[in-house]
Amino acid sequence: MTVSSDALARPRAPVGERGFKYLLIAPSVFLLLAIGIFPLLYMLVVSFVGIDMMAEDWSFKGLANYKAAFADARLWQALGHTLIITAVALPLELLLGLAMAQLFLEKFPGRQIFVALLVLPTVVSPIVAGATWSLMFDNRYGPINQILGWIFGKEMPLLWTVDPTLVYPAIIVAEVWQWTPFMFLLLLAALSNVDKSQLEAASIDGAGYWMTFRKIVLPAIWPVMAIALLIRALDLFRIFDIIWALTKGGPGTMTETISVFTYVKGFTQFEISYAAAVALIIIVLLTVAVTWMLKKIEIAR
Amino acid sequence: MADLKLTQLHKHYGAVHAVRGVDLEIPAGEFTVLVGSSGCGKSTLLRTIAGLEQADQGSIEIAGQVVNDMPPRDRDIAMVFQNYALYPYMKVYDNIAFGLRVRKMPEADIAQKVKSAADMLAIGHLLDRYPRQMSGGQLQRVAIGRAIVRNARLYLFDEPLSNLDAQLRDEMRSEIKRLHQELGKTFIYVTHDQIEAMTLADRIVLLREGQIEQAGAPLDMFERPATQYVAGFLGSPPMNFVPARLVAQGGGYAVRLEDGAELALPPARVAKLAARADQPVTLGLRPEHMSRAEAALRPGLARYSSRVDLVQPTGSRTYATFKLGGVEAIAELDAHDVQRANERIELALDMNRAVLIEPSTHRVL
Repeated sequence: MTVSSDALARPRAPVGERGFKYLLIAPSVFLLLAIGIFPLLYMLVVSFVGIDMMAEDWSFKGLANYKAAFADARLWQALGHTLIITAVALPLELLLGLAMAQLFLEKFPGRQIFVALLVLPTVVSPIVAGATWSLMFDNRYGPINQILGWIFGKEMPLLWTVDPTLVYPAIIVAEVWQWTPFMFLLLLAALSNVDKSQLEAASIDGAGYWMTFRKIVLPAIWPVMAIALLIRALDLFRIFDIIWALTKGGPGTMTETISVFTYVKGFTQFEISYAAAVALIIIVLLTVAVTWMLKKIEIAR
Repeated sequence: MADLKLTQLHKHYGAVHAVRGVDLEIPAGEFTVLVGSSGCGKSTLLRTIAGLEQADQGSIEIAGQVVNDMPPRDRDIAMVFQNYALYPYMKVYDNIAFGLRVRKMPEADIAQKVKSAADMLAIGHLLDRYPRQMSGGQLQRVAIGRAIVRNARLYLFDEPLSNLDAQLRDEMRSEIKRLHQELGKTFIYVTHDQIEAMTLADRIVLLREGQIEQAGAPLDMFERPATQYVAGFLGSPPMNFVPARLVAQGGGYAVRLEDGAELALPPARVAKLAARADQPVTLGLRPEHMSRAEAALRPGLARYSSRVDLVQPTGSRTYATFKLGGVEAIAELDAHDVQRANERIELALDMNRAVLIEPSTHRVL
């Protein structure tokens, strides 16, 4: 083997090394482009043309789809429904999760088993959870109506998935059931990390439960709580499975959320270009909202 | 009236019986130090007094009132924790003010109290900082400040200096003693460090396995320990213990070591020992009660000749390790008394200060 003494003396050419570096990350960059950036760009293009079930019209239509979307009352109603569900379910999940976490902070026999059992709903696939709740809410054979019947001593033929006054409670119950454990788990971890001697110092200083919670516990768990809230808010914003399983957006379009609306537009009515425009509007709205929230909770830095 | 009175106090931690029947009275204004090796129950005892732990048995009285079932905040106590336990999301000012705000004191009074506490502890320039921006010594000053603004009846300190480095510890120790003199309040202080106990306390309470081994003024305990444990715990380097036998010698008594050397005991001690002639005893001798022997010895000193195994100069004094009656012992000598290992040395042992211990009960005779 002949190696020039020159090559041995100094390190390998830095250019080659740098090239190798890029070679190593190339597959992941390619994947990212293929499944992230490309569909997004393709969607952007599609949103400016006129593809629907009737015609694959690739001619440039300008902002026609966007104009239609902004004028579409059904879209804004769907956004409203999404916000209502988020605004009700999120605080419920937070409060229930926090209360449960407080309860499980104490050591008691069987604690770990109970924690594991309580977390189970989160492990179930949302569409399965939706299907299960759909059976639970069934007006004739569902256990919910049966139990209500026992309590009130008469038949309770409530139409949970159809009655306009009951569909939202039904959706929110299912959603809260499935995702409260997520809050519970994160908050339990955060609460158990609160320095115990600080709580003792506060109790000697004379602080009661609420004072201690507000001034010492809450600031300590806030970073975790904020992230949990953000994750759940985003999840709730794209809620689909449970609604699809329970009401399919009905009665009428009463429980149609953004995700359901876009799905219906894109995959049952095949207004592809219109759905693409709607999806892009949502992406922009969400990006703005998330950036604002991150700034608000001072984690983005 | 006693500020604190404990009667037959017991505390279990699961299977561990941490405090076993402690009786203790602490008069108002006294600085009491609870001392003992780790696991002796001293911290548990303090936490039970504070109300952070529930007593299983016995009573705790603060200012004549039984407080067993009272939550910590109603017990009129303030406490300084080992790890400072400052509130990390509050500035120093708010940390110190917290206990006063909870008690609904007017803000103007709070400002004045915080300022005077901060001045006393020289932390006035730190009031705008957060705990994470400060060093250990500063944190402990703030923690002490948070306790002293409270104007409580009892001030509890749970090993407050053990997280600090040596120099800072000395500094804070004298600061705490000065604080006690200025405030004139009742301090109860837990430590495992016998030097802290000796230097700070009006009264030392030495705990062992959840019971009080001996309580008393520091010098009394140092000079007249009740048991071998107390004798060995107080003092550094610790007292040397040598197995021996009490023998009659001339008109008086002496202790005979296992190597045959006989050390005469001063006549003043003879009366108490008459009944024990020819019985085994443990001889206890502090390192500082040995010196290099002169040609003529003062009465009460006994001569002992040995070879030095190890020499440790500290600057002002020199520790010499040697065999005393077959066991390793340390003598604290003048700096230049011994030069190097393997030197033969004539020691004068001060038998006036020696302690004789009954080997089976470990009680001092």
